[in-house]
Amino acid sequence: MQAPFTLAGFRRGFRTGLALGTAIFVYGLAFGLVAAQAGISWGWALAISITVFSGSAQLAALSLIQAGEATLLTLAATILVMNARYLLFGATIQPWLSKAGPLRAFSSLLLIGDANWIATMRAAEKGEEDRAFLMGTGVPLVGAWLGGTLIGVVFGAVLPDPRALGADLMLPAFAAAMMAVMVKSKAALVPVAVGGLAALAVGRVAGPGWGIVAAGLAGAAVAALTARPGVVH
Amino acid sequence: MPPIWAMLLVMTAASFFCRVAGYMAMRFLPPSARLDAALKATPLAVMAGITAQALAAGGLVEALSLGAAMALSVATRNDVGAAVAGVAVAAGLRAAGL
Repeated sequence: MQAPFTLAGFRRGFRTGLALGTAIFVYGLAFGLVAAQAGISWGWALAISITVFSGSAQLAALSLIQAGEATLLTLAATILVMNARYLLFGATIQPWLSKAGPLRAFSSLLLIGDANWIATMRAAEKGEEDRAFLMGTGVPLVGAWLGGTLIGVVFGAVLPDPRALGADLMLPAFAAAMMAVMVKSKAALVPVAVGGLAALAVGRVAGPGWGIVAAGLAGAAVAALTARPGVVH
Repeated sequence: MPPIWAMLLVMTAASFFCRVAGYMAMRFLPPSARLDAALKATPLAVMAGITAQALAAGGLVEALSLGAAMALSVATRNDVGAAVAGVAVAAGLRAAGL
């Protein structure tokens, strides 16, 4: 009854993860550099990158530490706020991922991030049955993130400009490219429009992280309210 | 400031919660057509949100890069390759001084 979880599926995910890895590596460098500036040693910086594994949350936590405003409460609140969108990622991937069994599912969840969640949801929609796909996408990302962190802490000065490499557009480009092929009917334009507008409206006042949460929730709410029971789109 | 090991512990716990709580909460939601529709719409809405934010924050280069990613994705049906090409378009245009 368990879904397949094989090396072949892992490899398919791995290839997608490699394409995302360069941008993640560059942001790992940036995190390492800022960590060094905040007086954090390479060992602790790596430990943070392993356990938190979220660029936006880690950089926000570092800015608290650098400003001398870090308490256990402000740190916890910062991570919860910056990563609130992960609640949505976990919930939406559950129907697909839970068929892998609890151990494989929970280990895969530790490797989830914005870009590989998008890639895995797209793969699942395309009919990917192998649940090792998600873990496959995650491994190169973790490797790039840790490698970038380490090099950034130790050789901060070599940091390239992420913008010059286009690294700031890697996540949006993945989102845009996958969205474009997932819109197969006029009905699919509704969540696209609702999500885009919600992200712009909320993101402007509450920051991009909440913009993403708002987009997901608004898209889900409109779809739930307009769903006709028994009709599968 | 608290010691670094305590900060690491708190950050780890908060990150772990965000990763697993949404997943675990799904077990308590009874399946329905409405839930199905909501789950299906969420990735598209999030992708649109990320794209819209990048377009709003950017200018011509960002619009051309994401436009290329979408057009190539539809034309070639290779979404990963199209995304990488979109990033290359941005890097090229910026190198050209745009």
